[in-house]
Amino acid sequence: MDLQLLFTRRRLALLLAATLGGATLTARAELAIIVNPQNPATRMFPSQAAQFFLGGSVQFTPVEQPENSPLRAEFCKKVLEKSPAQVEAIWSKIVFTAKGKPPKEYKSSAEVKKAVADNVNAIGYIEKSAVDDTVKVVAIVP
Amino acid sequence: MKKTLIAMALAALAGLAGATDLTDDGTLKLTGFYNLTGARVLSGKAQGSGTPWDYMQWKCPCTVQNWEYAAVYERSEGWQFNQESSVGFQLKKEFSPTLSATAQVLVRAHNPGHGLTPTLDWAYLTWQPSADSAWTFQAGQFRIPLYYYSDYLYIGYAYPWVRPAPDVYGWPIYAYQGANASYRTQLGQSDWAATFHMWAGGYTQHNDTYDTQIYYATPTHESWKSMVGGYVSANNGIFDVRAMLMHYKDSTWQDSPAGKVFFVEDQSTRIAGLSANVDYKNWLVKSELDRYEQVDAGKGLNNVYKYALVAVGYQYEAWTPMYTFSRYTTINEPIEARNTQYLSLRWDFRKNTALKVQYDVSKDKSHYSYPFFGDSRLLSVSLQGLF
Repeated sequence: MDLQLLFTRRRLALLLAATLGGATLTARAELAIIVNPQNPATRMFPSQAAQFFLGGSVQFTPVEQPENSPLRAEFCKKVLEKSPAQVEAIWSKIVFTAKGKPPKEYKSSAEVKKAVADNVNAIGYIEKSAVDDTVKVVAIVP
Repeated sequence: MKKTLIAMALAALAGLAGATDLTDDGTLKLTGFYNLTGARVLSGKAQGSGTPWDYMQWKCPCTVQNWEYAAVYERSEGWQFNQESSVGFQLKKEFSPTLSATAQVLVRAHNPGHGLTPTLDWAYLTWQPSADSAWTFQAGQFRIPLYYYSDYLYIGYAYPWVRPAPDVYGWPIYAYQGANASYRTQLGQSDWAATFHMWAGGYTQHNDTYDTQIYYATPTHESWKSMVGGYVSANNGIFDVRAMLMHYKDSTWQDSPAGKVFFVEDQSTRIAGLSANVDYKNWLVKSELDRYEQVDAGKGLNNVYKYALVAVGYQYEAWTPMYTFSRYTTINEPIEARNTQYLSLRWDFRKNTALKVQYDVSKDKSHYSYPFFGDSRLLSVSLQGLF
């Protein structure tokens, strides 16, 4: 993300970023949707990935970021294209009508990455900058 | 009622904490939901007259908003919070990644004949061949997944209204004891995911509220046996379509000194439902068409109910206003029928908590010779959430 754009469109964000030591910049980072390197999937539309995080498909096991993380808020908006309340509503239907269980939450991108590296069927998302060869990227969300 | 309110206040407080782990390893979880609902009948009339009338035990103008427990609001009562308010608790134990047991109980402010005794709405075992299997098998007691909102009528937080259109969600039996199987799959490389679900079982309810309080005024029993049903649903994140069909054998009877008096006995009955929903950018469209058929020319039976619902909403940040129209009708004289229009507003003002306000205008189109529930205008508010 170029700084000029940030400066013109998100002056407040920059101010906050300066105050919070870059936390806001992290929130606007590119997202990488990741799977286990042994997973045969090579690329995926974000709308396909969304199905796993909204209970539509159980083909892959979704791995979630912590509840209040800025990355999760970005993912909710850009990939799931829903408000957090809508996502909660969808999962409440599933959980209270015997249709499944919500994704397990991990505490950080490092833990999400490890969970994906450990489970051949897992799918997760982390900052693009956090990607390494223990996981495979199937989509980048700018 | 006081106890219920206390339970709800506790539930609302618990909402701050979210799901509760009851063991260190996270295999025993307590979660739940609540609906603190109040409504007031603003006006009503029957057969063209606004003169107050009685229907069964109710002083009308009045309106039935929940058929299963006969939640009826009466104008003479003003604001009533004791008809639909409820709190549900779900306890789930995971024995292994592929085997779990779940129980869900609800405490209802209004549960005729049972006070505040919790009802067991769900109690089942879930087993999957492997942790990531497309197949799921369950056995126990469930809500029947008939129409789109049937199995989560009481999870208010999961839908935009104070309650799903009562015109569409009325029948005597809502549960089954038996087993089900689900298969879920992604359709090829598309973003469509599909679920195939089948169930089989039965349920008997003695002195069921719907028959006894709303129609017969004498203890009436109903049994749905040999239920076999299935639905197919598909969703791509924008469109959500579902088709359902269920067949069962219906018996409805009353007791007399001479024995059981059957209205219908082991009568073959079919219920079908179609729904299509759209969730595109800020727009929400919801629709369904449903049909109940108990037809047997030899016995002179032609019990057909036709139901429909269409709704359009727009989500703007935490606000979801929605317009809804629903109707139902029988086809045999004397016809029982109703049309209702709803204006609702959902406000997601806090995490896991929504406040809803709704205004309903309902027209009784029945051809009964006596005044039935009649026309009504109803104002409802509800605080609904999860914990």
